[in-house]
Amino acid sequence: MDFVILSLVMLAIGIYGLLTNRQLLKVFISLELIATAATIDFVMLASTMGLGMGEALLILAFSVDTAISAVILALLVIVSKRYGTSDLSKIIEQMRQKEETEVDEQ
Amino acid sequence: MIFEILAIGLIVSAVLALFLDEIVYSVAALSGVFVFTAIIYLLNGAIFAAIFQFVVGIGTLAVLFLSGEMLGEKPSRKFSPLRTAGLIGAGFLLSLPAIFLSVSTPSPVGSGVALSDALWNLRGVDVLLQGLLILTIALGIIIVLYERRKK
Repeated sequence: MDFVILSLVMLAIGIYGLLTNRQLLKVFISLELIATAATIDFVMLASTMGLGMGEALLILAFSVDTAISAVILALLVIVSKRYGTSDLSKIIEQMRQKEETEVDEQ
Repeated sequence: MIFEILAIGLIVSAVLALFLDEIVYSVAALSGVFVFTAIIYLLNGAIFAAIFQFVVGIGTLAVLFLSGEMLGEKPSRKFSPLRTAGLIGAGFLLSLPAIFLSVSTPSPVGSGVALSDALWNLRGVDVLLQGLLILTIALGIIIVLYERRKK
């Protein structure tokens, strides 16, 4: 059983989800998985080596992760309200259409 | 043996969280990821890390459930038990490398530092965390004010 490989597999799943999913909430879940993979590696290496520093720094990592999550979710809600959908491809399409109409008006 | 079962549960939950169509089911699977991670930390002796993971996980899940209900669109296809079984199988296969392979990790250097000592040595982190909190609040206020101005 190896936690480094476990976290690498989690990281790979998260990156794959980040690249392939179109739903904004799924993209957010992918980011959460990537963050979890990083913390697993961090904590397990620190605890197997008997370093308390790893756990202490984990508090900082969790706080940063939570702050990032809060900001991402706020932006996600705003984008979804403005464009009326949480599908990335539809949002990009609407943005392009908006840009084209602005160029035509000019 | 228990770590292997937890690793399989963790990877299967991660796969289900990403690839289930209904967003509420995805969030439920993500709760599995947080719970399995917390149990792994707990069994490995990192009790504080387990508690933090659990608390932060619960907060994230509550917010995700709410925003999932608000923003989640109806999936184009219906819930398929066969597809779910396939996803569980894929997760199981993906967890096999973590069970059977291993890489060499560095051996402990010196006697290590206890968590209480580390927390005392890193007391400057507290200031950093407060700064981060203020920055997040400022960002939230900016976003809200920007939206109101647009309206």
